[in-house]
Amino acid sequence: MNSSIKVTIWRGAQIGSYQSYDVPQRDNQTVLDLVSWLQRHVVPDLAYRFSCRVGVCGSCAMTVNGRPRWTCRTHVSKVVKDGTLKIGPLANLPVIKDLAADMSPFFDQWHRAKGSFVPSAGRHDPMARVKPGSPRRQAADEAIECINCGVCYAACDSVRWNADYLGPAALNRAWTLINDERDGGNDARLKAVSGLGGCQACHSHQTCEQLCPKALNPAKSIAGLKRRALSAFLKGAL
Amino acid sequence: MLRCISMSKFQRIKTDILILGAGGAGLFAALHAHQANPDLDITICAKGLIGKSGCTRMVQGGYNVALGNGDSIERHFMDTIEGGKWLPDQDLAWTLVETAVTRIHELENEVGCFFDRNEDGTLHGKAFAGQTFDRTVHKGDLTGIEIINRLMEQVWARPINRLEEHRAIALIQEENGASIAGVLMIDIRSGAFVMIEAQVVLLATGAGPTMYRYHTPSGDKSMDGLAMALRLGLPLRDMEMVQFHPTGVLAGIDTRMTGTIIEEGLRGAGGYLLNGNKQRFMHNYDELAERATRDIVSRAMYREMRAGRVTPEGGLYISMAHLGPDKVARQFKGMVERCADCGFDLAGGLVEVVPTAHYLMGGVICDPTTATERPGLFVAGEDAGGVHGANRLGGNGVANSTVFGGIAGDVMPQWIAQNPGHRTPDEEHIKHEMHRALNPFSKPTGDLNALRDQLLQLMWDDVGILRDRPGLERAADKLGQLQTDLLATGLAGNGDDLGVRSFNLTWHERLNLESLIDISLVVTRAALKRENSRGAHFREDFPQAGELDSSTFTTIRQLDGKLDVTTQPVQFTRLRPGQSLLGDNLDEKTS
Repeated sequence: MNSSIKVTIWRGAQIGSYQSYDVPQRDNQTVLDLVSWLQRHVVPDLAYRFSCRVGVCGSCAMTVNGRPRWTCRTHVSKVVKDGTLKIGPLANLPVIKDLAADMSPFFDQWHRAKGSFVPSAGRHDPMARVKPGSPRRQAADEAIECINCGVCYAACDSVRWNADYLGPAALNRAWTLINDERDGGNDARLKAVSGLGGCQACHSHQTCEQLCPKALNPAKSIAGLKRRALSAFLKGAL
Repeated sequence: MLRCISMSKFQRIKTDILILGAGGAGLFAALHAHQANPDLDITICAKGLIGKSGCTRMVQGGYNVALGNGDSIERHFMDTIEGGKWLPDQDLAWTLVETAVTRIHELENEVGCFFDRNEDGTLHGKAFAGQTFDRTVHKGDLTGIEIINRLMEQVWARPINRLEEHRAIALIQEENGASIAGVLMIDIRSGAFVMIEAQVVLLATGAGPTMYRYHTPSGDKSMDGLAMALRLGLPLRDMEMVQFHPTGVLAGIDTRMTGTIIEEGLRGAGGYLLNGNKQRFMHNYDELAERATRDIVSRAMYREMRAGRVTPEGGLYISMAHLGPDKVARQFKGMVERCADCGFDLAGGLVEVVPTAHYLMGGVICDPTTATERPGLFVAGEDAGGVHGANRLGGNGVANSTVFGGIAGDVMPQWIAQNPGHRTPDEEHIKHEMHRALNPFSKPTGDLNALRDQLLQLMWDDVGILRDRPGLERAADKLGQLQTDLLATGLAGNGDDLGVRSFNLTWHERLNLESLIDISLVVTRAALKRENSRGAHFREDFPQAGELDSSTFTTIRQLDGKLDVTTQPVQFTRLRPGQSLLGDNLDEKTS
């Protein structure tokens, strides 16, 4: 238990600098454990965010050695390089303080993509019968487990280059809803994701697919949206 | 002598409905209140991010609801009452099971949750421990994510004010003390105080027994809601009832993953629990061995640990390999992957586990409309007491938060219509609470980590799974000392400087500890009061359940700085022990 890791951490807001600390290395240690140890023992005013500790809430994503990750589910031994780790806030978002990014632009895009269900029935109606093996249900299920952690948004070049771009997570959500036969808002949703900053702004670099901690494939969802948008355009519906 | 802290400048906000907490209860309350009266100004606050902090999101099992086909709300009610060992408030429990039916339709049809289906396209209900019908509606084993994601989207889509990373520190009474006038908060990001005046307030912060060495709830939970209610003088009930889950991860010191749940289904599927000698032991305690109920398995594990037959980290092992590692990896994919990310081989190796504090059945006393005894203050979710009695069924947690959150959202606009207007806050109360929050900056710094360790260890040792009078009395003494020590332990920096207070997590950990110690003392005093063993509460010096027909529940309130502990008889408003609402065995089981 004598070995230690040299951890370099972003301190400040938009303007700041990386600072280095030594943290004792342990057998069972995630990046979140390391950040928590620093705050509790060395840097009492270090700001970061976490909640569930098990990869369900998506609050603790940070940039670790240049790559966005959930810190609660990243074992230090998997990412440490030559005894060092560099940890910063998520990219493509404003920094509030230290390791805590402002997630609101990410959620605003989700809203702009009309990423919320539009009911076609009410609480006193029977529930829709949807066969689990139907192609639309399977397409919806394929993309539904996103926990909105923002890892894909932080990793996306198109987001970095284009402030209007809705981003992989919001478009992935829109695609799930387009496959949801119960939803009543798909005409407006298809318009929202086909316009400025919509699915056509994706450059298919597929970083989202490579880095999604849930192994979802937003790039595939976006490709589905592009097909759907083209078809609607040809029919004169867009 | 009070140090003079300049706090004359702080932000004041006025809203009509203020909701504290953004889990299933808070989000549902916001949606229903907006639907009931779109002209009202509604504000929802969370200690973390809206929808991301709290525990609704962490629900793995699902949502208990009676949807017919042989099930009935009467059957769901009976399971809830039997599971709660006849302590639940029967009108609350009835409201739960009855309203769950409407609420699940609303979740599916209006909110957009897309639950798993049977082959014929109807909703699938899975089996869950302690229930006589397979009624747990789910989305895979990530039901909470589906529910909370869909709810938060609906809230984003409406003109509802959202205050994220805003922490409530006090329910502020009105000038004459009769009702409440709003809530004093800290904007965690800026470090500034914010006084939010509201016509009504919903307390839905989600309790969370994180004062135990091993615990499951999210890291932001620290009993703030109950501590605020206690300080305001509200009565709490069933506070001795802390549910332990048998299998939490044990990963050693300074690990956030320690205490998080290893799912119950592993034992159900045939998983073994092994002691430090790598031998099975559960059959020494119960004929159902690993498949016994949560409370029995937790107690057996604790006894095995107390006997010293422990793993290197002081716990026990769960072993799945005999079922075939490939099969386990397929059947429990998410759990196996989570363990692998943390360096453990669940499918083929041994993972160290320990029982872990999971849920607080106790809470603020309320009626089925979610009203508390204080006009203008409502409560829902884990902050409320009485629905579950001595034990909560798996799958009744998210049903509870969404059912009563929605009811609060229906009721609060009606209350405003009958009692319109904001009330003038008691300025002395605001000043007092600000001073309390800033107090640490006027004290010499100390070892906060050591105080936290002492709290977690003493609650685990003396107020945990097995309890007795000497241990509980020892705990009460130590908690009193901890309160004193904590108040003398300060923080670095000048508390007048917003830069020092901005996103200062150590300040918030200090505030968390105050709430946790206050409520730990309540749990301890309630546990001393109950001299029998029911559900989650086990007294080694009083191991019998006691007569069901004369059941009482504990209540505690703070009067003049002292805890007043009493018991009240359970009102069997719908049926008495031995009776059943199910036609097939009505009155037959009385003996």
